This record gives sequence, structure tokens and C-alpha cells, in this order.
Amino acid sequence: MSLAEPLAAAATAQRPARRGLSARLLRKPSAVAGLVLLSAILAMAALADVVYPLDPLDMVGTPFLWPGADPDFPLGTDMMGRDIASGVFHGARVSLLIGAVATLMSLVIGVGVGAVAGFFRGRADHLLMHVTELFQTIPPFLFAIVIVAILQPTMTTVVVAIGLTSWPSLARLVRAEVLRLRDGEMVQASIVLGLSDARIILTHVLPNVMAPIVVSASIMVASAILTESSLAFLGLGDPNIVSWGSMVGAGREVLRTDWYVATVPGLAIVAAVLALNLLGDGLNDALDPRQNRR
Amino acid sequence: MTSNASRSLLLRVASLAVGVTALFGGTAFAQAPQNGGTLTAIVQPEPVTLTSAINTAAPTGFISGNVFDGLVDYDLNLNPKPALAERWEVAPDGLSITFFLRRGVTWHDGHPFTSADVKWTLENVWKTIHPRNQATFGRVTQVETPDDHTVVLRLSEPSLAILSSVNSNGAQVLPKHLYAGTDILNNPHNLKPVGTGAFVFKEWSKGNHVILERNPNYWDKGKPHLDRIVFKVIPDAAARAAALEKGDVQYAVFSPVPLKDAERLAKLPNLKIETRGYEWLSPWLFFDLNVDNPYLKDVRVRRAIAHAIDRKAISNIVWYGFAKPAISPVPTTLGAFHDATVPQYEFDTKKAEALLDEAGYKRGPDGVRFALTHDFIPYGDDYKRTGEYLKQALKRVGIEVTIRSQDTAAFTKRVYGDRDFDISSAWFAAFSDPQVGVTRAYWSGWVGKNTPWTNGSGYRNPEVDALIAQAQGQARQEDRIATFKKIQQIVQTDLPSIPLAELKFFSVHAANLKDVVTHGDQIYGSLKDAWFDKTASN
Amino acid sequence: MNRRRVRFWAGRVAHMALVVLGIAVVNFFLLHLAPGDAAQVLAGEAGSATPEYMAALRRQFGLDQPLPVQFVQYLANLLTFNLGFSFRHGLPVLELIGQRLPATLLLMVASIGFAVLAGSALGVVAARNAGRLLDTAISTLALLFYATPVFWIGLVLVVVFSVGLDWLPVGGMTSVEAGYTGVAYAKDVARHLVLPAATLGLFYLAIYTRLMRAAMLEVTTQDFIRTAVAKGLKPRRIALRHVLRNALLPVVTMLGVQVGSILGGAVLVETIFAWPGLGRLAFEALFQRDLNLLLGILLCSSAVVVIVNLAVDLLYTVLDPRIELAR
Repeated sequence: MSLAEPLAAAATAQRPARRGLSARLLRKPSAVAGLVLLSAILAMAALADVVYPLDPLDMVGTPFLWPGADPDFPLGTDMMGRDIASGVFHGARVSLLIGAVATLMSLVIGVGVGAVAGFFRGRADHLLMHVTELFQTIPPFLFAIVIVAILQPTMTTVVVAIGLTSWPSLARLVRAEVLRLRDGEMVQASIVLGLSDARIILTHVLPNVMAPIVVSASIMVASAILTESSLAFLGLGDPNIVSWGSMVGAGREVLRTDWYVATVPGLAIVAAVLALNLLGDGLNDALDPRQNRR
Repeated sequence: MTSNASRSLLLRVASLAVGVTALFGGTAFAQAPQNGGTLTAIVQPEPVTLTSAINTAAPTGFISGNVFDGLVDYDLNLNPKPALAERWEVAPDGLSITFFLRRGVTWHDGHPFTSADVKWTLENVWKTIHPRNQATFGRVTQVETPDDHTVVLRLSEPSLAILSSVNSNGAQVLPKHLYAGTDILNNPHNLKPVGTGAFVFKEWSKGNHVILERNPNYWDKGKPHLDRIVFKVIPDAAARAAALEKGDVQYAVFSPVPLKDAERLAKLPNLKIETRGYEWLSPWLFFDLNVDNPYLKDVRVRRAIAHAIDRKAISNIVWYGFAKPAISPVPTTLGAFHDATVPQYEFDTKKAEALLDEAGYKRGPDGVRFALTHDFIPYGDDYKRTGEYLKQALKRVGIEVTIRSQDTAAFTKRVYGDRDFDISSAWFAAFSDPQVGVTRAYWSGWVGKNTPWTNGSGYRNPEVDALIAQAQGQARQEDRIATFKKIQQIVQTDLPSIPLAELKFFSVHAANLKDVVTHGDQIYGSLKDAWFDKTASN
Repeated sequence: MNRRRVRFWAGRVAHMALVVLGIAVVNFFLLHLAPGDAAQVLAGEAGSATPEYMAALRRQFGLDQPLPVQFVQYLANLLTFNLGFSFRHGLPVLELIGQRLPATLLLMVASIGFAVLAGSALGVVAARNAGRLLDTAISTLALLFYATPVFWIGLVLVVVFSVGLDWLPVGGMTSVEAGYTGVAYAKDVARHLVLPAATLGLFYLAIYTRLMRAAMLEVTTQDFIRTAVAKGLKPRRIALRHVLRNALLPVVTMLGVQVGSILGGAVLVETIFAWPGLGRLAFEALFQRDLNLLLGILLCSSAVVVIVNLAVDLLYTVLDPRIELAR
């Protein structure tokens, strides 16, 4: 599970300026592991309706069947006699969707705000950072709780709450990187050459902050999944759908007696978060612009 | 209250034990109480105020009952026992009630407790701002205090329910000398209560704890046995279980740990599970069906839903056995008031489907007849699971249910204010007289008044309204019982709300904490009898 | 230079005031969108209430006033640094916050301190051993802590260290029963602090480990480091003088970002450990519709975040001379 190692890469000899992203990604064992894990989870999400055609909320068995106790329910049943395996499959779909949509929302807002603020500085920076600070000064998780509580807990409100509250950190990170890059030779040279602002941002700034954005995005999908589970822990989940978070939330009250009820979906969360992070690290290396330069 | 009713009540209460019983446990009879020790209890959620006279919430009552005495206490059979009132008399015509107050009782600040305190509190608190008592004491026209130790209530009509609601939670007496002429709701003593009870208020650290200390001048000589009680706030249920398990906390009430965890804790040698002490409350769980809904206004649909629900499964699976199926809104714990002959709706999906067909709601091509929403009372996972059960049960008979989740403020506004719901769940305390706790669910005057925990279904039946009014004014208990039975027959026929289960709340306490439950209203009462057995092994 | 500094500070203060005012306006109207009100919650908790009782409560809380009137009153109060009154608690909001703020600050400082120190140390070790087994082990462990839901870690720590091993208290901030004072009291609080701070810190630990490791590796490849190596500086000096100082940049950025986030995380941790802090108070205030109190807490936390971010901006200029003070 070794992660990025640009040091070693730096020592190796010249290599072709641009190889396929996937080729570079596949050279990292950790990235491959992440990719495999994520593919497995995606497959679970895609095949949920085929493997478990019934509603995962259906009470189909005796409550509290331990994993392995009944071949019909390989991962056991929960306190209401619902099939945990079915829940994990269907939950994969919901949790990934929540993570992905919320992150997409944050990426659009966060990268946009951060890049513009950092590049133009001055008035634009001031205004945008005001807005960012407005959002950031309210503790994001608390803000998410407020939004979900006011709008009622449904899948949509959970996604909106996570998306609306998780971009400021990305915006600041992007801004900080852009601020740093803006004073670099590359950007200064481009400005001297008279390239348009949009072009400079798109060709010289954003590619150079791609690595932190990609790493952040992978963290953000993962953290959206975690946030959803925390909301569920506090009783702010959508009761009509099964997500991993809602399964953990429901299982926590039998944690001391029937720990598998919360642990099985909990492990699914851990697996997904791990996979996303490993993949993010792999992408980080593969996308590292310095490797292209060489 | 007849002794027969009481005895059968006792048997029923005994049968409530959860198989993990702590009832009549062991050596309590043989041993003399030992003095001393600090009891650490859990209060959850943190109370708003420590004066039950202005707030009847459970956490307030749990602490307040130790600082204040009631005029009476209720024993485990719900018979009134002398407390601040040594005895009482109801006039033969039922039009006056006289309380003879205990002599030599002082408030914690040294002022003597007199009939003036009772008169002032009744007139200025119970009849005006008390959340529940305006109905109970509504027929009191005049309060006379012939001397410092006698209070006479003059009534416009007989009002027997009064005697079932004069403990320290139902009708808490406030010190007139600290409250008269002040803004009662904002009086600083609401947060630093001055009572006559066995324990004196010491400090309240918000978010942390409330500390009470032994009242050395308590009128009940030799009591209390404990030196101090510390009430701690522990918001998370799993953490509560851990604190009890470890012995950091020795007492917690109102089903303080997850139901499944209770089974586990009951097996530990240092803990006991106790289901007594909630008799005065007599809680029952039900679904309110909004009778203004185009589908639910048809009684056949309401009956079909009742047939589609397996109340045994709700008690045994959803509530892990900490409940028993209910057939009437008047729980069996109310003894003679309960009517066992009301129409029953046994679990029978075929019957349910037949009724729905008959009502004209055939299954569509996708198997769905129509869709409803369900709003569950936001009091924790048990109620959420009840909603999830409803969704699955109705799906089987072709009714699609969408569960909606929200917090308390949104829930009460939606159900009791906006009436923007189809099926809601709730639990009510019936109290020891249906007039106090049950009739509010059916009286049409409450519909849409935005008053929480009243008539949620929107049921309007003039006949029931008339019977409710009639029961309030009847002087003989037999007549009232007959009236309440009539009411049960009608509402169980019309079925605006479906009684699901009589809930068995439980307390957890350390095995060496003795005599912690001595009253039927114990959770709102005083811990003056409780003591630590220091000879016990743990 | 001096005039610049004065202008900078004046700008900052104006900026802070604006942000705080913005928060007040946004939150006031956002929170008042919430269905139901405080009187309803109180009546709901009481188990019963009459319309007269509810009307009395609403009058008492000032909820019978039209919203614009309430807003003007709130702003007027705010201008005199009065955060209003929490009718539910019967205390001024400022006093309530004052009671709870120290507990939350303690938890925040302890957990973030733990996360930054332990995380950075692990990150440095991992970066130095990049590609080796130790690196993998550290990265995996940090990731696992990060990937596991916070409340889960909290509950497991309680079961293991409190119930099982009996080393640490289950929850709360002090042993009230013991009545400690002075040093014994501080020790008692410290014992209570260990598990909550560790629970909250473990989540952020992973972030700092990752950040520090990645930053270390990235900075090491930058031109000026290679120049330094070429100039013949010793690797140890490089690590200390150049690498660490530059790698701290993203860590410091994160610190500013997380002040707000950690208060949110505190809701969970304070819930599990019965820690009497602001996060829990805010959570309860929301559900109790104690809007004055919730607004006060949000304002207070926004002030904290603004101040910390100001400190972060200043730190930038110290850590990386290439960045100037904004404006």
C-alpha cells in the first residue's frame, strides 16, 4: 500500500513527456488496490437490483441472525430482520451517490472561488473570501445539521447540506496554492507575454493545483460519506432509503450486544473511504505536472 | 378506588416484569436502611427548569420531586398516601375537597409552609399557567383557608380527577413568599428551587450536573438516607450504558439505555432493571390517522390499517418486549377504567385487503392502492423503527408509505398545528385517571389548536365530546367508569387512532441501591427512601 | 511599513465586523425558516399544554412580535454587544456561552494539538521512509483512523479504556462527587479530557499525517531544495530549515480551515462523552428552537474562526516571505 513517491521518481531517468494517465496510474500498486476496491463497490452498487431485487427495507428474516448463521443471509439480519447484505449492496449505491453529487457541488463552487480569488487578488479576492469566510465561520458540520433540520432530512437535503458546507476549505486551499503560483516565474512570464487571464488560469494555474484538488476531491467524497453517517448518528438521515450511514446509525444502539449490525456497513464505509484515498494518492502522482516537465 | 381494582392492578403490574425482573428483589425486607453516601443519577435530557409547577417535562419532575413534596404521594397501586396533606375529605355531594396540612413543615429557607402557599399556588399557577392543571382544577371556584393548616376547595361540579393529580408533579406547591407578585415564569427560583422536600437544591452547572443535598430538617424524621444526589447529564445512550455498567452512575430512569442493551445490563450482577415506578404515567403508543385525509376519512380504510398491523410484532420485535399489545387507549394499568370488551382488530392481512377493496381502493397494476406519509414522533430510534414497521406492514396490503423525519418542533407544528400529515405516531401518558391523560386525544376542542399531544387525528364526534364532559362532572366513580367505557367502545369503533402498545419504561439502578422504587409515581417522586447497602459485595 | 500595518489591521477589523454582521443576518433569517418555535418545544417536552400556556410562553419569549421587529431588536442588541436572552435557560446568552466556551476551547486545543503534533511527526517519519514498510504502516493506520466514523471510535474507546480497562472516566468533565480543587481538579479534568480529545484528534491526525507527508515529499523536489543540496548543505539542516518550514504552509492553512470544522466535530464528541461544551449546546439549541442562543453560538464561533484565520494569514508571511500581507 505504498503511496506516492516522487523522490524515487525524481531519481529515475528521463521519460517520455506524456504517457497515458491510466498507464501511470496502473504502475502504482496502491492505486491499483484502490481502483480494484472502488470497482468492486461500484459493481455492488450497479448489481444491487440484480443480486437483491427486494427492497432492502423489507423484513425478510428472523431478527438478529448473526453472519453465517443462515446461508440465506450471509451477512446476517438486523434488529428488524432486514437482510444486511442486501442493505450493503443497495447502500453502496446511495452512499456513493451522496458522496459524488455533494463533492461535485463543492468542487464547482470551491475551485471556482479559490482560483478566481487567488489569481485576481485585490477586490475579487476580498469579496470572495468574505463569502467563503461567511460559509466557513459557521462550523460546517453544525451548518449541515441546521440545513438538514430546517429542510427536513431527505436524501436531497443531506446532499445539499454536505455540498454547501464542504467547499470553503477547498476554496482556501486552491487560493493558497494559486497565490503561491501566481508569484512563480511561470505565471509571471505568461503575464508578461500578455496571455489572457482565463487562459493563464486554465493552462498555467489550474493544472499546477490539480494535484491538491484531486487529493481533496478524493478526501471530500470520502468525507461526504462520513458526514452522512454522522448525520445519521444524530438521527438526521432519510428513513426511506438505506445508506451505509443510516445502517450504522441504526445499528449503534445494539453495538454492545450485536456489534455486527453496525460493523458490517461500517466496514463498507471504511473500505470505500480507503479506496477513494488510495485512488486519490495514485492520481496525485500520476497527475503531478513536475513529472511531465521532466 | 376500590381495593379489588387495586389488587388486580398490582397483579398486572407484577406481570409487567420483563423476564429480567428485579421485582421484590431479595433482602430489602430484612435490612434496616443505612445512612450516608452520594447517589449519582442520570437526568436526560437536561431539564429546562427545576420547578414542575410551570413545566411538567419528565427531567424536571425527576429532580423536582426530590426538592418539593406533593400534597400526596401515590403508592404502587396508585392510592394516595399522606405527604404535605396528612388527610383529606371529599364532601358527599362531591362539591368540596378539604386538605388537612401537616404541621411543622418549613420551606428550605426556614419559612413555615402553610395553607396560604397552597391557595396562592392553586389560584396563580395551577389554574393559570400550569400546562395540564387548568383542566383538572377548572371546576374549583373558590379556595378557603380557615386556618394555616386547612385548605378547602369549593367546586362547581364534582371533580374526582383532582385526587389523582395532587402529587409533587401533578400539583406542585410553590413558596408564596418567594413567588407572590413576581413574574412567575421568570422567577429566579425556578432555577434555584426552594421546596419542602427531602433534598435541598445546592447547585446547577448547566450542561453538567445538578446537585441536591440532604435536608436535615425534613419533616419525615429519619429520612432521607442519602447525603447527596448528583444528577448528571449524559446525552448519548451508549455512554449512559457504559457509565451505569462501570458504576460511575447508580440510577437512571425513562428507559435510559437502548432496549437491547437493557437485556445485557440486566444480566450484570451489579445492576438491576426496574419497570415499577411508572404506574402513575401509564404510557401507551398509538398511530393517529388524519381523518381529514381523503383515504383515511373512510372508517373501512382505518380498520384495514389496524388489521394490517401485527401489534405483537411491534411489542416483541420493534420494542424488544418492552411493551405489550394494547387494545384500548385506556391502558390496563388504569384498572377498572380499562374496557377489555372493545372491538378488536386482529392481525389479518386478508381482512385488511378485503376492507380496502370494499372501500373502492383496488390494487393498481403496480400493486399499489394509494400512498400515504408517516411522521414518527422524534423521540428516538424505537419510534423510528415503529414507523419502518408500519411502512413494511402497509406495503403488504398495497399502501405505499413514505416516512418523514423531523425534530420535535417541526413534528408538533405539523401534526397539531398545520395538520399536514397522514399517519403520525405518539405516546401519551394516560395518568391514573383517563380524564387527565386519555380524553385529550379525542376531544374535538383540541383539533388544530397547535397544542402538542392532544387530538392529532382530527376526530370530531359530538357524542364523545358530551361523554367526556359528563365524566368530568360525575360524583360517583362507578358512573365515571361506565362513561369512560362507553367512550372506549365508540372510539375503538370509529378508530381515529390505533392503540398499538402499552409501553414499559424501565429504570436501571445499582444492585446495592435499595428502596429506590417505593411509589407508583416514583420517577416524579422523592428518593427519600433510597439507601446504599454498604454490606453488599459490589 | 508601519502605515501599511495600521491599514492592514483597520481593514481586518472592518472585515471582521462585516463578516460577523453577515453571519447575524444570514443566520437570523435562515434559522427563522425552521418550522415550529421554542414554545412548541417546551410544550412538547412538558407532555401537555393549553393554548393559554403556549401564548404566555410566546409572550415571554417575544415570539408574538412580527419577525422584522424581532430582527431590529436583535440587531440593536447586537450593536451593544448584547447577544440576547435564552428564555429556555433563563440566562443571558453571553453568560451561557461564557459557561460553555472554556470546555470547548480546551477540547479544541487539546485535540488539534494532538492531531498536529502527532500527525506531523508521523508524516515526517513516513516521508523520510517513503516507500518502505514503515511508511505504508503509518499511512494505512492514519487512513484507517480517518476512514472510521468518529462516533464509532469514541464508543470503542469508551468500551476499551473506561469500561474494560477502567483507566479513564466514561464521560463528563469532572468528578463532581469527589469535589476536587486546585491541582487535583486540573488532573481530574485532564483525565476526563484524554478520550474526547483523542477521539476528535484521531480523525484530524490522519489529515495532518497525509498533508505533512505529501508536503514534505513535494517540497523536497522543489528547485530551491535541490539547489540547497547542490550547495552542499547537510540533509538534516535542509529538513529543518527549508523543508519543514515550507511544508508547514498547507498544515497552517488546514489549521485555519479546521477551527470551524472542529467545532462541528465537537457536537459528536461532546455528545458521546457528555462534554459540557458549545457544540452540544448549539445542537440542543437548534432542536429546542432556542434561536437567540444558537445565533449567539454561531456568532461566537465565527469570531473565533475570523481571529484564527487572521493569525494564519500572519503566519504565512512568517513561514513564506514570498507572500505579502493581503492589501
